[in-house]
Amino acid sequence: MAIALGTLLALIAVVVVAYPFLGSKRYRLAPERFVNREKLRAERLRVYRKISDLEADHSSGDLTGSDFQSQRDQLRVTAAKLLREESGPNGPTNDRDEQLEKEISRMRERSARSSGSRDQS
Amino acid sequence: MADLGVMALLLGLALSAYSVIGSAIGVKIGMPALIVSARRALYMTTLAAAVASAALINAFVQNDFSIKYVADHSNSVMERAFVWVAFYSGNEGSLLYIVLALSIMSALAIRFAPKRMAPSMPWTIAVLAAVQLFYFFVLSFFASPFELLETIPVDGRGINPLLTHPGMFSHPPMLMGGLIAITIPFAFASGALISGNYGDDWVDVARVSAILSWGVLGAGLLLGAWWAYTILGWGGYWAWDPIENVALMPWLVLTAFIHSIMVQKRRGMFRMWNVALLNIAFVLAQLGMFINRGGPVVSVHSFASSTLGVIFLSFMLLSLVFAFGLFLWRMPQLKSERAMESFMSREASFLVNNFLLLSVMAVTLWGVVFPLFSDLARDVSVSVSAPYFNRANGPILLGIVLMMGVGPLLPWRKSSARSLKKWFIWPVAIGVLTIVVLVAFGVKRPVAIFSFGVVAFVATSIMQEWWRGTAARHRGGENWALAWWRLVNGNRPRHGGYIVHLSILMLGLGIIGTNFYQQRTDGALALGESLVIDNYRIEYVDNGNSNRPDRIAQWADLSIYRIDTADYATEISFARAQGSDGFTLKDSTPRPNDRLIGQIQPWHGFYPDFNMASVRSGIRSTIVEDLYVIPRDFLSDGRVSLAVSINPLAWWLWASGPFFILGTMVALWPQPAVERRPARSKVRTMAVGEV
Repeated sequence: MAIALGTLLALIAVVVVAYPFLGSKRYRLAPERFVNREKLRAERLRVYRKISDLEADHSSGDLTGSDFQSQRDQLRVTAAKLLREESGPNGPTNDRDEQLEKEISRMRERSARSSGSRDQS
Repeated sequence: MADLGVMALLLGLALSAYSVIGSAIGVKIGMPALIVSARRALYMTTLAAAVASAALINAFVQNDFSIKYVADHSNSVMERAFVWVAFYSGNEGSLLYIVLALSIMSALAIRFAPKRMAPSMPWTIAVLAAVQLFYFFVLSFFASPFELLETIPVDGRGINPLLTHPGMFSHPPMLMGGLIAITIPFAFASGALISGNYGDDWVDVARVSAILSWGVLGAGLLLGAWWAYTILGWGGYWAWDPIENVALMPWLVLTAFIHSIMVQKRRGMFRMWNVALLNIAFVLAQLGMFINRGGPVVSVHSFASSTLGVIFLSFMLLSLVFAFGLFLWRMPQLKSERAMESFMSREASFLVNNFLLLSVMAVTLWGVVFPLFSDLARDVSVSVSAPYFNRANGPILLGIVLMMGVGPLLPWRKSSARSLKKWFIWPVAIGVLTIVVLVAFGVKRPVAIFSFGVVAFVATSIMQEWWRGTAARHRGGENWALAWWRLVNGNRPRHGGYIVHLSILMLGLGIIGTNFYQQRTDGALALGESLVIDNYRIEYVDNGNSNRPDRIAQWADLSIYRIDTADYATEISFARAQGSDGFTLKDSTPRPNDRLIGQIQPWHGFYPDFNMASVRSGIRSTIVEDLYVIPRDFLSDGRVSLAVSINPLAWWLWASGPFFILGTMVALWPQPAVERRPARSKVRTMAVGEV
C-alpha cells in the first residue's frame, strides 16, 4: 500500500514537472518590454507612496513647508517622467498625454485638499 | 508508512536538485520550458514534504513503534494532542518540520512574487531549492525519521516531559519556522544580485518576508521565555542559553534590516548595507542550525547527541562563502542614490540603531562561540554565563530603547534646532519627571530609575507622534477616533512599528522590574506552616500525588494571604537582620489583617524513563508583581521545599506579546492603493518566466 502510494506520488510529480515539455502550450521568456513596464509601474507607485508619505509628514509637522514643496515637486516630476516612459515611444500619444494630465490634476487636487485642511486649522 | 515517508523524502531530494539545476541551466541557455518545469519542481517539493510529514504523524497516531523515531518520542499513554509536539520533538522530526515549513513558504513566495521580478525569479528559485536540497539530503541519508528498529518494542519511551506544556504547541514551530523563513528574503536578494537586477525591485518582497520571519521568530522567542518561566522551575525566563542566543541573533539582525530597508525605500540609501544584513541574518540562521544540531554546546534545548555537526558546519560555511562572495562580486553596482545630509536626521538615527543592534549581536555571538574556541584552541572547557551577557548587552539594549524614542522625533534628511526643541521638549520633560518622581518616592537602584525614565521618554515620543498626526487630521474636520484610525491606516508600516515599540517598552518594564527588584526566599514547610515574603504569607494546607505509568507526580495546595507587614514587624526585622527577604512560621494562625487572596497548586513530577524531574510553578500574577512558587522537592518527612520569589512587573513581559503580534500584523498589512490600477494590458501575463 505504502509503496503504491509512493509510486503514485512520484508519477504525479513527474507529470507535473514534465508537463511544460509535453503540453501544447508554448513558453517564452517574459519580454523585456513587459518586465520594464512592470518595473516602471512599480517605481511610479513607489513615488506616489513617497508623495503620500510626504504629505502625511508635512501635515503632522515632520517636514517644513519649503522642504515639503521642493521634495514633492521633485517627486512629481519623477512620476511624470515614469508615466511617460511607461507609455513608451510607440504608445498612443493622446492617451498618454491624457493620462499624464489626469495624474497631475489628481495630485493637484490631493495637494489642494491637504493644504486646505491645514489652512482651515 | 515508513516506506512512503522514505520515498517522499527521496522524491523531495530529486525535485529540489532538479529545480536548482533546471533553473540555472534554463536561464543560461534561454529555455523557458525548463525554467517553468524547474519552478513546478519547487512547488512539488511541498507535496513531497507534506506526504513525508503526514506519514510520520500517522505513525505516531497509530503507535507504530517499529519506527525508531516514534518509539523514542512517544508511547501508548501519551495524550494524543501531543502527537503534534512529538512530531518535531527530536532532531529528525524537527528537520522534517523545517523542510515542510520552508517548502510551503517558498511555494507561496514564488507564487505571489511580483511579475516585474521575472528575470531574477529563476535564480531566486535556485537559491530556495538549494537550501531545500540540503535539508532533504540530510533527512534522506543522515537523519531519517523513518529508520526502522530490528526489534519492535512493546511500548515507546514517551515524549520528553519538558515538552508537555501548551507553549510547546507553538514555541518550537515558530522558532524553527522563523529561522528558516529568513531564507525567503535572502533568496530574493540573492536572485536579484545574480541576475544583475540592482534596482529596488526586490525590496518590497524582501521587506514583507523579512517582517514575517522577524514577527514569527520574535513571537517564538517570547513563547520560549514564557515556557521557561512556567516549566523549567528556575524562576527566570531568559538565561542567555546558547540555543536562545542563536535564535536571538538573527532576530536582532532582522530588526536592523526592517529599519534600514525603510531608508532604502524612502531615500534610496543603505543598499549595500541591507544586502549585507540579509546575508548576516541568513548565515546566523545556519549557525543556529549548526549549534542546535551539531551538539557543540550543551543546552536544555539542543539535540546534543546529534552527530550532524560537520554537515551543518559545512553548510553554514558554504552559505557564508556564497552570500558574501556574491555580495563582493556585485558590490560596485550597489551604490546608494544619495549620501546622508545630516546626522540629526531619521536616517542617521536608523544607522545608530543598526549599529547598536549589531553590537548586541556581536557581543552575544562572542559569548556563544568563545567556549568553542577555548575548547578547540586551549582544550579548556569554559562557559559564558548570564552576568557577561547582562553586563555587556544591558547598556546597549538601553541605548536601543532610547533610539526608539529619538528616531521618530527626527525628520528625514535634516532637522533644525527649532524643530528639535519643539519635538523633544515633552518626551524629555516626561522622562526627567519620571526619574524625579521615582527618586522622591524613595525607589532605589539608579540604573533602574534611569531605565524607567528612558521608557517614559520613548512612550511619550510615540504618544506625541500619534497626538500630532491625529490632531492635524482632527483640525481638518475628522473626529478624534476616525482621525487616529486614518493616521494609522495611512502609513501602516510606520504606525505598526510604533505599536511594536510599545510592546518592547512593556517588555522593558518587565525586564527592569524582574532584574532589579526581585525578592527571593526559600524554606521547607510542614503541613500548616507558612512562609512569609514581603506582604505575602503562603500557607501549606494540603498535598496530593498520582502515579501513572510514565510519571510520579506530587503537588502542594498553598493558600496565599495578603498581610499587613506591621502585624509581622518583629519577624521581618529579625529576617532582615539575617539578610533574608523572608522567613518561615510554625504557627499559621491568621493575624488581624491577613486576607486570603488566592490558592495555587505547584506541581512536581518525576519521569523514571527519562530520569528527569519536571515542575510546574505556582504563579499568582498581577500587573504589579508575580508571586512565584517553585516546588523544589517533596521531602521524605512530609515537608515541601519551596523557593519563592516576588517578580515585580513580570506580567508586562507576557502582556507585550499580543501587542508585538498586533504591531507586526499592522506593519505587514498591505498599504491602501495610492492610485487606481490602470486598465490591464491585453497581453496575458502569466506567472514568472512565461507569457
